[in-house]
Amino acid sequence: MHTNPLMDVLRDPLGKAGIILLAAITLMAVFAPFLSDYSPNQYTGEIFSRPSAEHPLGTDSVGQDIWSRLLWGARTSLAVGAAVALISTICSIFIGATSAIFGGLYDRFWMRIVDAMLAIPAIIVMILVAAYLRPDLLILVLLLSAFSWPPGARILRAQTLSLKERMHVSAAATFGAGWSHILKRHIIPDLSPIIVAVMIADCRRAIFMEAGLSFLGVSDPTMVSWGKIMHQSLQFTYLDVWQWWLVPAGIALSLTLVGLSLIGFSLESAMDPRLASRPRKEIGGGSDA
Amino acid sequence: MNASRPPHGNFINYLLALVAIFSLNFILPRMMPGDPLHAIYGDEALVAMTPQMEAYLTEKFALNQPWSSQFTAYASGLLQGDLGYSYYYKDQVSTVIMGALPWTLLLAGLALIIATILGTALGIESGYRRGRPLDRGLIASLMFLSGFPDFFVGILLLLIFGVCLGVAPLSGATTPYSGATGLAYALDVAHHLILPLSALVLVQLGGIYLLTRNTMVSVLKERFIMTARAKGCSDSRIRYEHAGRNSLLPVVTATGMRLPQIITGALFIEIVFSYPGVGSLLSSSLDARDYPLIQGILLLVTVAVLTANLGVDLLYRRLDPRVRYAH
Repeated sequence: MHTNPLMDVLRDPLGKAGIILLAAITLMAVFAPFLSDYSPNQYTGEIFSRPSAEHPLGTDSVGQDIWSRLLWGARTSLAVGAAVALISTICSIFIGATSAIFGGLYDRFWMRIVDAMLAIPAIIVMILVAAYLRPDLLILVLLLSAFSWPPGARILRAQTLSLKERMHVSAAATFGAGWSHILKRHIIPDLSPIIVAVMIADCRRAIFMEAGLSFLGVSDPTMVSWGKIMHQSLQFTYLDVWQWWLVPAGIALSLTLVGLSLIGFSLESAMDPRLASRPRKEIGGGSDA
Repeated sequence: MNASRPPHGNFINYLLALVAIFSLNFILPRMMPGDPLHAIYGDEALVAMTPQMEAYLTEKFALNQPWSSQFTAYASGLLQGDLGYSYYYKDQVSTVIMGALPWTLLLAGLALIIATILGTALGIESGYRRGRPLDRGLIASLMFLSGFPDFFVGILLLLIFGVCLGVAPLSGATTPYSGATGLAYALDVAHHLILPLSALVLVQLGGIYLLTRNTMVSVLKERFIMTARAKGCSDSRIRYEHAGRNSLLPVVTATGMRLPQIITGALFIEIVFSYPGVGSLLSSSLDARDYPLIQGILLLVTVAVLTANLGVDLLYRRLDPRVRYAH
């Protein structure tokens, strides 16, 4: 490997922009208690107050401080995203890599499941399950993870299949290394940029789905979430409140998703060999009509 | 990642997916604590239910019998197209859904067509000018846009054009009680459709654009492009007929994967605009906890997505002879 795609992301302007966006949201989430005087579920005494020094974004229809709900919403989104990315990527690595290593019936079994799950629109099943269970944060994370591992497993399996044929892996196998040693020492380190890409995609999907479910109003009612803020405030578009209630929540959610997309896109372009060469040297790319 | 799905769209995957959805629909309400009839119909429905009706329904779902006969009763009902009864709309679930379906098909279908045409055209132009200002500008702006959740793009359009500027209607698909017919009716529908449609297209555009652009970049490196150039083909001919045409294949495959996004995107955007399609129906059934309707809608959407995916797989085989020979 002559290039490190993870380093390329830091140099790419789009990747940099994504990292800055995500860092800003993370800071908001981490320092939420210091950035606001109110707890997100606290009744402040006035409803629909306009933005003021006391309440930077005013208060909502039940008298909660919108700014602090926004900050705590960042915590929910990032926690869901990070947890799902972790759990689902671990499943993807394990299932994808072991399928590639073992092959045979084991591989066929898992790939059949992956194909079937990829055919089902996950958000639809999530809505159905959530409508019955009204999941809290933990169940939501587990549900989202259960539906987000298949794409990653397929990608990681394909990569492992090609890595498996490399010399150093054969060498390790010849020296008597077991599959778990090969996986840990030789496959996973080489997969790391792709694993990061899979994690980013999983994280983005999880944040989007959590917001979508909350926007539909099927998540746990006590959860503070950007999707739920949008669900509540959408009923009040005839008042001026959308300016500091609906729009900030939507922007926060969008910037988080855009940040993750930018990092993911920049990472994938850095890894894609088809896009690797310099633009000036290629045939056909030079002249213009 | 442009990992296009392997084209062997064998029926078994779709069949498995379908069985999984049916089973989930069957198991979920019966897994809930308490009386399964409560879970199947929801607590609100049972308030209005007479003991005779409860006995009838218990008999119908075979709830007093073992799981195997319950499943047989469920499956035979589905096979007859019986999705259950919506107590909220006081009608058969299938009738309720069919009333809303045309609006969703109009919205999602048009969005798919427009986004595909626009996305491919932009992708071809952009890939041809790789690294130039137009290419960089398009990538940055479309990446930014496609990162937005579809319902928020809808909300933004609604707020800008509907609430602030007042140039577009805030909700619905037609002006109520206008009595318009013919051309006036079509214009009215278009006027109501434009915002939800733009929102859906704007969000979907990025993925199609990016895929075409990246394929274009790699196709332009192929030898036959050099041959075409050496023959003296014009730039626009090379761009569209040689390179552009070859960039279409992955777009077709990706359409299959994009369909679920377009359909679910349409559902969410309908909710924003109170567009009277399946999405708004889903939203009100979720609010009213009308479980038979929720199940019916989600079943229908899944079947639609699976069927469309199968169709795309078959189409792909026709488009790419290599796949046909390989099997």
